[in-house]
Amino acid sequence: MTTTTATDRAGAPAPLSTTPRSLATRVLTIVRLLFANPSTAIWTPLIILGFILLMNVAIFAIILANIPEDGETANVNGGAFFLYVYMLVVAVMTINQAFPLSLGYGSTRRDFLLGFGVFAVLLSIGYSLLLATATAIEEATNGWGVGLGFFSTGVLWQTDWWQALAFSVLAFLLFFSIGAATAAVYVRWKATGMYVFWGAITVIVLGGGALVTWLGAWEQVGAFFIWAGVLGSAAWSLIVTAVCALAAWLILRRATPSQG
Amino acid sequence: MTTIVEARGLTKRYRGVTAVDSVDFQIARDSITGLLGRTGAGKTTLMHLLTGQEFATSGTIAVAGGNPVENAGVLQHTCFIKESQRYPDDFKPKHVFAAAPGFFPHWDADFARDLAAEFRLPVDRRIKKLSRGQLSSVGIIVGLASRAPITIFDEPYLGLDAIARQAFYDRLLADYAEHPRTVILSTHLIDEVGALLEHALVIDNGRIIIDSPVDALRAHAATIAGPAEAVERAIAALEVLHRERLGGFVSATVAGITEQVLAEARAAGLEVGPVSLQQLIIRQTGGTPTEHEEVSR
Repeated sequence: MTTTTATDRAGAPAPLSTTPRSLATRVLTIVRLLFANPSTAIWTPLIILGFILLMNVAIFAIILANIPEDGETANVNGGAFFLYVYMLVVAVMTINQAFPLSLGYGSTRRDFLLGFGVFAVLLSIGYSLLLATATAIEEATNGWGVGLGFFSTGVLWQTDWWQALAFSVLAFLLFFSIGAATAAVYVRWKATGMYVFWGAITVIVLGGGALVTWLGAWEQVGAFFIWAGVLGSAAWSLIVTAVCALAAWLILRRATPSQG
Repeated sequence: MTTIVEARGLTKRYRGVTAVDSVDFQIARDSITGLLGRTGAGKTTLMHLLTGQEFATSGTIAVAGGNPVENAGVLQHTCFIKESQRYPDDFKPKHVFAAAPGFFPHWDADFARDLAAEFRLPVDRRIKKLSRGQLSSVGIIVGLASRAPITIFDEPYLGLDAIARQAFYDRLLADYAEHPRTVILSTHLIDEVGALLEHALVIDNGRIIIDSPVDALRAHAATIAGPAEAVERAIAALEVLHRERLGGFVSATVAGITEQVLAEARAAGLEVGPVSLQQLIIRQTGGTPTEHEEVSR
């Protein structure tokens, strides 16, 4: 059996256009892929958050019922903090799993990373709004009626709400970018990359700590954060965020399926 | 013929291994090309080079006239379905199909739904829980429904039974007739796809050893069988690819045949038969059997 080529029947087709679709279209394609199943990035963490909150409220209610009226309670536990770490994990998993798929489906590495960036920003803003709202409710209800400080992490949320919101967005972005850099190292160099990467991070953190201790400079470090203030400190984290994002890009732009 | 893919001196070297060794070839627009060869011959590397996922060590590859590496203008026309495609852990097939239209402007959702039914794919089950064959059908459905102008299948049928594979070939051919596009199919199952292919690129040890229309390949070769003496007389002037002996009988696979040779062989009472594409390629990539026969003779 032979098949006639299509061109024999229809005449020469118009050449394929190599004008790319708009950047927005390409990036949104990736965003759509990353949000195609929102369970890992949205539903699961929300369910966990709700569950821990309920447990905490219950525990605080029990404690409250068992202490005298004038007794002291520690009421801040900041249980919602897990969300930040969770988003780091989401970043690692998302890039590791969606990057090869996107490349096979005709995306460029650059468009993929930009799409991931939009995904991270959207989630950062969304979760920060959620946390700010929950904090407001918590404060208005005197800690869910039991004096629980689940969302109000002390000093942080006693600043203006918009400062706290900005701080939260920046913190989420920091965690996303660290996750992105980690995933990029993994995608490109697999297990070997992970050993070197975490080894280097350990050396840098311990080395930095040792250096500060040796210089007796912890006071200055503390003074820096007091000087920078809540929002200022968070703004400084943008440097780390930017370095991580840049590293992720530089590493992924040369990543290939055969590596690792 | 319009050329859609053109490689010149294309080479990919990994540490100490030359996976693709200075190959030159062209692929015609709107044709079905088989990329054939043994495991480790360089098929997958070649397809990765074609879709800009690997970087060439030297030489050039042009797809739709441009270098595919990080080239959104070129890559928007491609769909690459891999044997071992991984999907995000929490995905179900329906999530893949929901995200696909963004990547493939010609995506046909009805066609995808149709195919999912035909392949009995549970679109609402987590991909991690799918069988090997069901996982393969996710790739096949995306590849077909994408209607990407350049669709590349790398051994897409792992774990699929014969019926599902036949369904894939039938659907591919039918949809290709209606929506002409360039299909590149890498496979081990040469005879199964033999009827599908218009052109064969056979790669061995990183080199292209056959680059020919399938019809020409077939017309070029035949098996001639009969009593040893008569067969040897008939094939004396021909290129013998393979020779099998059973007592006084010989069956020879020969290349370079003409109508005259065949007519003479038939007149001599010999049996003349076609050579399957697979046989032909095994004979030409194996090499050793022929030499072995020659020596022992």
